[in-house]
Amino acid sequence: MIHTVLADDEVLARQKLRQLLRNEPEIDVVGEGATAIETIELVRATKPQLLFLDIQMPGMDGFDVATELCSDTNVMPKPHIIFTTAHDQYALRAFEIHAMDYLLKPFTQERLSSAVDRARKEILLGNQQPAGNSATGQTGSRYTTRIVFKSRGRIVFLPVSDIRWISAEENYVRICTQNETHLLRETMARLEEKLDPDMFLRVHRSSIVNLQHVKEVRTEADGEYAVVLVNGEKLTMSRGYRSRINGWLTHS
Amino acid sequence: MHPVVFVGAFTLLGLLFALQEWVSIHSWNSHIPITFQLLIAAWCVHYFLLGTIFWLLWRWLGHHIQTASLMCMATRILPLSLAASVFEEMIWVAVFPQLPIGMPRMTYWHRLAFHLDSDTVDSLVMFWAVFFLLRGIGYYQLYRETAYAAVQLETQFANAQLRALRMQLNPHFLFNTMNSISSLMQTDIAAADKMLEQLSSLLRITLERGDVQLIPLSDEMEFIEMYLAMQDRRFSGRVRQEVYIEPDLYDALVPAMILQPIIENAYTHGLSRLDRDGLIAIDVRRNDAMLSISVINSGRGLHLESSNGAGRRGVGLANVKDRLRLHYGNGQAFTIEELAHGKVRVALTLPLQFSERPTRQLTGYGV
Repeated sequence: MIHTVLADDEVLARQKLRQLLRNEPEIDVVGEGATAIETIELVRATKPQLLFLDIQMPGMDGFDVATELCSDTNVMPKPHIIFTTAHDQYALRAFEIHAMDYLLKPFTQERLSSAVDRARKEILLGNQQPAGNSATGQTGSRYTTRIVFKSRGRIVFLPVSDIRWISAEENYVRICTQNETHLLRETMARLEEKLDPDMFLRVHRSSIVNLQHVKEVRTEADGEYAVVLVNGEKLTMSRGYRSRINGWLTHS
Repeated sequence: MHPVVFVGAFTLLGLLFALQEWVSIHSWNSHIPITFQLLIAAWCVHYFLLGTIFWLLWRWLGHHIQTASLMCMATRILPLSLAASVFEEMIWVAVFPQLPIGMPRMTYWHRLAFHLDSDTVDSLVMFWAVFFLLRGIGYYQLYRETAYAAVQLETQFANAQLRALRMQLNPHFLFNTMNSISSLMQTDIAAADKMLEQLSSLLRITLERGDVQLIPLSDEMEFIEMYLAMQDRRFSGRVRQEVYIEPDLYDALVPAMILQPIIENAYTHGLSRLDRDGLIAIDVRRNDAMLSISVINSGRGLHLESSNGAGRRGVGLANVKDRLRLHYGNGQAFTIEELAHGKVRVALTLPLQFSERPTRQLTGYGV
């Protein structure tokens, strides 16, 4: 079971969270805090693996709680934090202190599930919550593993492994995941630079593909190449990029 | 006008007259034994005094310069100009007792009479020239101020109208959605919850946008996509939604919330009458220097609508029309037409403009 603590100054907010979490397997709510101080004490006493944290609470806020817990050597391992808040302006800050997710109130069971699934995966893998508030990658990798952005009124903390492919649309890029696409104001060059080349490959001037989702490279009737994804989607490929994928195909 | 500029200009004028007299004395070979310094000093002081006195008079007269009637000018300002000229001459004569040069010694009053004889007309001309100049400037300023105020008023009025028009859209849509949620709450809690989340997201981006009238198409489409997702839930997949936008138009500016009433209409008056195979297609293209937006929906055509829809479609669309007119004047077009098979097309054409600054987007990378 995953020991979980909820922190929110509003009773109804805690009640909703508790109810929704009942439907989530392996989540065991071990305590609820209504203030920052209460929450810190609760975490020290129960050592949960997961913490749902409201940002605006009387006195100290959610970030103060996170900072306090990070510097406390008695709290080991650090709990994974999922922020729940009505405000979207703290998203970047939450992302920088390695929060697991950022839920905007009101959220649905579906949205909560996606956050919990991710946390569950991390916890079961035994991954530690990255310690410290600094964003300097302790893994030493210079590539990004998550992207944060706003899309359709929601905050998305997207693990890059969830991306299937990315296409360029002038000054924007379209990021496609299993169920959704997101339009971001970003350039392909900047994105390509951020993404691990062992995982993502530029197959065309205007597309990048996640190699984990590639099934095969096919030669089309007109002599052009196409990258076929596991789900059947097809991306055209430029000749110039053909050699790049060949190298990868012979590898695997 | 700053007093230093005013009096300075007068003194400069005096200097020019002095130079002119110096040149004329020399070219005519007149034997007036006057030194250059004295000549300059006499003219400059003369005009400096005139300038100072006139300045004080204008300050004292104030707006009477603009409002004085002909009668007032004849009975009040004319004597004033005479008095001012004489007064100035009295001071000047006291400052320069050595003038006029080359004449037998005279008393103060004799000298004053001598100088008044030669200078009064000049002083009066200066007085009235300045009087009418200031009067003209005053009129011009008044005219400018009136014109500016009119423009300001017009802009404010247009803004107020636009704000009002935008306000009409939100509550209508807001309360309809809340009513749907209220209805769903009785039957399908999860669906009500989902719709409430969608509504919150819509409200969040609408509030964030605030009062801005023109927004990038990408922002408008973000809202529309959310709205379409919500409608899709309501119509449980009975309507196919197609959206095509030329990618280089994402940064084009459009009036905020211009598409929502059109799409809402397409659903309420067209698509809601079909029980299957509905289609809504949004298409945005560049058309030379114009932006063309078209929304096509399947349904039962326009005729059937007007017979039992009682022109309801009119309210939302009239609002869209008004806003387009207020934003772009005659540089825009709005059409609604019936296509084959009961399809209806609403088309907007507006000038293609791009935002100078791209929208600030929160995007971060990390672990």
